[in-house]
Amino acid sequence: MTIWLLRVSLPLILVLLAIPAIGQDDFAGEWAPLFHEDNPERLPGPELGDYMGIPINEAARLRGDSYDADRISVVTEYQCRPHGGDYSLRGLSNMRIDSIFDPVTQNLIAIHTRMNFQEMERTIWLDGRPHPSAMAPHTFQGFSTATWDGNMLNVYTTHLKESYLRRNGLPRSAKATFREHWVRHGNYLTVITAITDPAFLTETMVRSQTWILDPNQRLGRDICEYGPEVPAPRGVVPAHLPGANPFLHEVANWYGLPYEATRGGAETLYPEYQSRMPKADTHPEKCERYCDCGNTGLGCNLTPTKR
Amino acid sequence: MMRWKSSLLAAAFAMSGTSAAMFAQSPPGTGLTAKAAAPIDLTGYWVSVVTEDWRYRMLTAPKGDYYSIPLTPEARKVADTWDAARDVAQGKQCMAYGAPAIMRQPSRVQVAWDSENALKVEIDAGKQIRIFAFGAPRQSAGEPTMQGSSIAQWQSPQITRFYTSKISAQDPDTPGFRGQTPAGSAPPDTRKLGGTLKVVTTHLKPGYLRNNGVPYSANAVLTEYYDIHQDAGQEYMVITSIVEDPQYLYVPWVVSNQFRREPDGSKWKLHDCELILSSK
Repeated sequence: MTIWLLRVSLPLILVLLAIPAIGQDDFAGEWAPLFHEDNPERLPGPELGDYMGIPINEAARLRGDSYDADRISVVTEYQCRPHGGDYSLRGLSNMRIDSIFDPVTQNLIAIHTRMNFQEMERTIWLDGRPHPSAMAPHTFQGFSTATWDGNMLNVYTTHLKESYLRRNGLPRSAKATFREHWVRHGNYLTVITAITDPAFLTETMVRSQTWILDPNQRLGRDICEYGPEVPAPRGVVPAHLPGANPFLHEVANWYGLPYEATRGGAETLYPEYQSRMPKADTHPEKCERYCDCGNTGLGCNLTPTKR
Repeated sequence: MMRWKSSLLAAAFAMSGTSAAMFAQSPPGTGLTAKAAAPIDLTGYWVSVVTEDWRYRMLTAPKGDYYSIPLTPEARKVADTWDAARDVAQGKQCMAYGAPAIMRQPSRVQVAWDSENALKVEIDAGKQIRIFAFGAPRQSAGEPTMQGSSIAQWQSPQITRFYTSKISAQDPDTPGFRGQTPAGSAPPDTRKLGGTLKVVTTHLKPGYLRNNGVPYSANAVLTEYYDIHQDAGQEYMVITSIVEDPQYLYVPWVVSNQFRREPDGSKWKLHDCELILSSK
């Protein structure tokens, strides 16, 4: 009787285990980023001194103020640097997601992402493995594990190399960790990124990005070659000493913003700041810069602005 | 007329649907109201966390600044005629406080059950109220309004699996599955299992997507997904918002807005719509 039951039930169990999951939790596929928020910051790049919307501390502000955009052109080590794992979903890149299944159990054990910018590859483990010891190497993408909560995938990432919160020199330290929350709604994928950085943030920074499924997308290669673009003596790292950066007021002047507001900080993120915010000296009558970025998909039509 | 409007809204909802099973008042067979069946708890006070599009949301951008929004040429022409002083003179300060834009306004939001099958979302900025009705919209006839007519549904993967495949519903390895529903039993109890609130809003008065006169038309359809998550001991609500408006948008405009839960309503402060300009 027992053998007969096994003969009947075993194939049925195997069939049941082979049935794929049905629902909205499958992220596998080709995804295109939607730049309907912060388009110029994410595509052509942020203005120098624009720290708006980021809960930075004074140390981060000092690092940002010291940044010189020539640094990337002069210091070749910076040229092929990929985004950090916390920034890569926000930057300029399309993405392919593969689901990795255990060949025997067919359990989902990992999600693998590939971004075409700098060919960034990342694995998010779902097999319950622990994070490595604190002494393990840190990488740009970090070490990620995840668990499901209903239709939401909750990801936790540690072991990051130093990177940036914004591509204008605002740093994110190697002590940072971040959590992500992935949720799919039909053909849209929303990823919420919450970064905790004891070195440069005064509170957890929460941002979100949305992607659209693009089954016809195919990622090509993105081979980065480095070389000196601006002549400079060996060993020079372009930078500004404290209080000596002449470009920090540009963003406020160009967009008619109060300078204080451009300096960021947690206190500027909440509605009450609207009534506390100082007034700018001028407010442009009409937009003059980056007015239609993302408007037609044809670029940003940046008109040179007088310095 | 009313029936026609309801059908239109239902059709809009269906067209914007996803693969997830959705239920209106309650999952079939459970007898639960929308309130009782809620897979997530959105009630309480929430505050905007403005970490994106900061200068467009905290301030009013100058005329002609419509980056990030996929506008049609017709929409650009309309946006280029915007005049802040004229709006103020004509009492149109609330144009950017309609449903497609209101959740982008820096604000505090109070969410509460208005009845067993309707959520009330009150926004202090601009003193606006939205009603998310499960089953049938409250206001599908008459003149369009700033907040339009909203129909809401819960989405839950457990329910999806229960109604789409008896086999996958039994698979404990299915990602997100926690229903533990034996074959032939009642649908899983979705309460607090995790899920999403989907809201579709139509029957809108024309308004602005952005404070500086970027328009949406009366034909705009707003689809929103409300999700919650925890980070560093705080609870967050994130709204993925999709505005479809073939008259003024090449493609749907998709943004996501973060809110953090507040312990009480001590900071919730009703105030009028206003155009906040950056200069003196």
